Amino acid sequence: MGNKQTIFTAQQLDSYQDCTYFTRKEILRLFDRYRDLAPQLVPLDYTCQPDVKLPYELIGSMPELKDNPFRQRIAEVFSDDGEGNMTLDDFLDMFSVMSEMAPRDLKAYYAFKIYDFNNDDFLCKSDLEKTLNKLTRNELTEDEVRMVCEKVIDESDLDNDGRLSLEDFQTMIVRAPDFLSTFHIRI
Amino acid sequence: MTSYSNGGLFNPAYHDSETLEIDRRSSSKTPLHTNPYARGEGADGHYSTGQISSDDALRRVPRGGWQEESWRGRESLPMGHISTRPRSPSWQHDNHSTFQIPPDSQYDRSLSIRLPSTTSGNMTMRRRGISMRRMSMFPNGDPNHVAFTEDAIRNEMENEEQNLVKELVALSTRDRIWAIRDLPMSFDEKKHIRSQVLAFKSAKKSRQFTCFADCSENMSLSFRRCGYGIRSARQTLELWQGIMKEIGGTFGTSVLSYFMFLKWLLMFNIFSFLVNFGFITIPQLVYRPWPNISPNVSFRGLEILTGAGYFNNTVMYYGGYSNETKVHLVEYNMQLAYFFTIAVYMVLCGIALIFSMASSFKTNYVLADPASNSAWQLLCSWDFNITNDKAVRQRKNNLRVQLKESMSENAQRERLSLSESLKHFGVYLGAWLLSTSLAVGSGASIYYLCQFEQQRATDSANWSLLQEAETLLVPFVVSLMNLVVPLFYSLFNKFEHYSSQRKQIYALVVRNVLLKMSILAVLCYNWMNVVAVKFSCWESMVGQALYRLVIVDFLFLMLGSFFGEFLSNVIGTRLIPRLGVPEFDVARNVLELIYAQTLAWIGIYFSPLLPAIQILKFFILFYLKKVSLTQNCQPPRRSGRAAQMQTIFIALLFFPFFVGAVSMVAFTAWSLTPSEHCGPFRGLNSTYNVVEVWMVHLKETSSSHWVVWIYQNVIRSEIFYFLISLIIIVIIYIFWQVTRGHKLRIRVLRQQIVDEGKDKSFLLERLQNLQKSHPDIRSKQKNPKKHSKRRPDDHSSGGQSTSNAIVQALLARQHFEKEEEERLSTGGVPVPSDISSISSALIQAMQARQRAEGQERNEHYSAGYYESPTNTSSAVTQAMQARQRAQVEGTDDASDPTSSVSSVMMQVMQARQRAEKDYRPQWVPAPPQNPAPAGSSALIQAMLARQQAQNEYDDGY
Repeated sequence: MGNKQTIFTAQQLDSYQDCTYFTRKEILRLFDRYRDLAPQLVPLDYTCQPDVKLPYELIGSMPELKDNPFRQRIAEVFSDDGEGNMTLDDFLDMFSVMSEMAPRDLKAYYAFKIYDFNNDDFLCKSDLEKTLNKLTRNELTEDEVRMVCEKVIDESDLDNDGRLSLEDFQTMIVRAPDFLSTFHIRI
Repeated sequence: MTSYSNGGLFNPAYHDSETLEIDRRSSSKTPLHTNPYARGEGADGHYSTGQISSDDALRRVPRGGWQEESWRGRESLPMGHISTRPRSPSWQHDNHSTFQIPPDSQYDRSLSIRLPSTTSGNMTMRRRGISMRRMSMFPNGDPNHVAFTEDAIRNEMENEEQNLVKELVALSTRDRIWAIRDLPMSFDEKKHIRSQVLAFKSAKKSRQFTCFADCSENMSLSFRRCGYGIRSARQTLELWQGIMKEIGGTFGTSVLSYFMFLKWLLMFNIFSFLVNFGFITIPQLVYRPWPNISPNVSFRGLEILTGAGYFNNTVMYYGGYSNETKVHLVEYNMQLAYFFTIAVYMVLCGIALIFSMASSFKTNYVLADPASNSAWQLLCSWDFNITNDKAVRQRKNNLRVQLKESMSENAQRERLSLSESLKHFGVYLGAWLLSTSLAVGSGASIYYLCQFEQQRATDSANWSLLQEAETLLVPFVVSLMNLVVPLFYSLFNKFEHYSSQRKQIYALVVRNVLLKMSILAVLCYNWMNVVAVKFSCWESMVGQALYRLVIVDFLFLMLGSFFGEFLSNVIGTRLIPRLGVPEFDVARNVLELIYAQTLAWIGIYFSPLLPAIQILKFFILFYLKKVSLTQNCQPPRRSGRAAQMQTIFIALLFFPFFVGAVSMVAFTAWSLTPSEHCGPFRGLNSTYNVVEVWMVHLKETSSSHWVVWIYQNVIRSEIFYFLISLIIIVIIYIFWQVTRGHKLRIRVLRQQIVDEGKDKSFLLERLQNLQKSHPDIRSKQKNPKKHSKRRPDDHSSGGQSTSNAIVQALLARQHFEKEEEERLSTGGVPVPSDISSISSALIQAMQARQRAEGQERNEHYSAGYYESPTNTSSAVTQAMQARQRAQVEGTDDASDPTSSVSSVMMQVMQARQRAEKDYRPQWVPAPPQNPAPAGSSALIQAMLARQQAQNEYDDGY
């Protein structure tokens, strides 16, 4: 990779490096990945900050996401318009949160948003059921789904309001150390 | 969706697609800007498009700077004053009641908006509090609510942002960057905050010396860029990134952890090789490039396996180093270099291990809680790493099976009869006895084998080929045992019934560790007590033995992955399909790595270049295992807690193995006499003597007395160690007590959370009960801030989220309270003016409710002397009349504003109270058959009348 790149200005790169967990090289690599999704749409020159947005269909077809059961939610949570259409900034933001360097709290915050299907700031039973169905290909019976959801809420709901708030979720994440390594997409 | 290919890009429809070129900002703003007065519909339409869009619109607010942010406010303000619109007059009151809030009430309001989750102090948390609030306020699509609190919230957001920027400015550059990165916001917001901070900083700087400030700014910028450059370069050097991704993508994190461990060990070895090569080997080679190999020893090829013969006198082993002090450019004492290099390396290794072990323990073990099993399985176990289609399917299946198992486990746990548990206990006992005896037996057999070998071996420089080959016997047997006995252990495991998979793995690990420990202990004993006496250059002999062990172990690892994985794959797929494709046994493989690393640590004193062999070994092993994994194995069926296993492995690497290796080397250095004719320490009583000699030398030359002083008064004094141990013990005790205190506090805090949850639900219940029992108050409260048109919507969304309902209720309550006060003060009734801001907004709401109720009741009593009309329609008409009168009087209020308006107020109030009274007797006794449309509509009308009067009253001022 040549030392001279004309995609971003130095200031742009600085702000990317300051606001994400990526280095210059990774940012350029991510830009390449982003551009590979739609070479005709994404210009090679980002210095004038073009307003380009890739639709969810393209983002969701990335090899890193295409088999992920939560791909749509991930794209929705990280996209600015909430519909999965992503600018380069959203794209970088997504992989920054999913990177190895991101701290537990940040990851937990976004994981919570991903699991919160109805955006009501609580993981209620319907959210958990949706999660479960996504994870098990709808093969559990309704009773089993209900039991699992009840058990999850029972285990993690500290304030007994019948649903998981972000605080409950974070407490649970702290007690589940694997989360840091599993909530991670390598690029 | 997955079938979507890049071919779609060439579809011209894509390029015309609006989504691609859409300018979000303008598109979402235009409807509002083009028709600023149509906020009623425009805003409604906008919000009703969905929670996301409203959320989005608000999220975007701070980005474009302050002017852009204020569009909403500017736009909404004039609407309240435009009363010429023919549409229902009610919504004007609405807006009026929104914007006429006295400034001092703003504070109360923002307090009550604050959700319980908002904690101040931690910056991230606070920031999250806002965004949470922002999310929770708007998504429910209640536009009136938005209109009602939007102002307060925007103010608060601005304040929060200012505070955040100030906090960030106060931090150092590095901390600031990390703090910005950790903010849970979108990239644009982060960028905005960052630019704010930078602007703030440069503004502050410009007041100081500009030139200096510029200079330091540039310096720090270039430093930062340099740092990023170094990080980039380091990432380029990072090994095997692509392969790691591939493995993680197909096999998940738990298998990946083996490869991470392998890589970590490889880094360890590269470090130790660099240290040893740099400080010991290079000086030796500079002084004497060619080893003095006796002419009758030739290279025969077998040396690569045995490490003997030709290699014997090279720098590979201890014997190849001299004891001289070299005087080239600087004086270089080989003895000291050898001693201190090994010692420092061991200390560094120990520190690195302790740190990684401690941090890993902290994050993975102490905090982990086995109780929350299904929560973990559901919400944390999904591996976002996995990108392979097949692996995803398999993982979903596995998860389903596991969930089912865990449910049935819970159901069956109680049903375990005494005889069954006795049987289980018997099997455990048998398996443990058997495995321990196997470990002891293999240790003993190796002991006898070593004795046999020592009898045959002679202390001569050149062995015959057969003699050399015989030396391979011990390593061969040792490695064979390491390969075969664990297979037996796995077999035992099949017969035992462990309640959890973790216990099973722990049992397996403990047995394997016992086996490896016993083998290594016997070998070490043999080297220390037999070899050290018998051979003239015994350190080199030990080095050779270790070299052979390392090499043969490598061969057996290859064989192991061939037999263990390839053969069982063949058996599983061709011969006995019942067994299926094997899984990659992480525990066994990691233990093999740990064993190999222990050999390298023990050997570092006897053969300083052993790490080089180890690097080669691990490097090849990585590719070997990778190929074996992808060819033979399937992803693991159970997603165990990989992070905890990782911690256990690091702990094992440290505790028996590294500590054992260090004590072995330390024993050699302190107690054993170095060989007399070879090696750097020839002629000394023990290796450690080299330091004493050096001290004597230093004393004589009298150049640096402090070193001697330290040596004599610190290193050699018992008092020093006594004091140090005493202090450490005291510190440990204190920390122990502190930990106990923390545990107690954690318990108390946890209890507190539970209690607060109970309180919350209790208060909520009370609130709801009260609202149910007094529907009039409820409707009255809700009316002032609602279109009658929007009401059905509101009912549907009201049930959606309780938190939103609470906030609404609180706001309504406060608003109501304010009104009540105003009303009472104009009516001459004494006002309880203690609106103390109680910490919990809920309690405040409760109190306010009760107070309001009390007042309400008082009013009812005091209004008793009014003639009570029998039907509601009269109340309605009265209210209407009152309103009309209020309007009329409002027009000519210039003459006597106070009295007329207050009289209007009084009248309206009376009308309303009357309406309430009428409507209550009808409502309470027979609620089922009378849904009280008339009563409620009368109430609404009365409310509207009152509002109007109030508006005009305000306008009058």
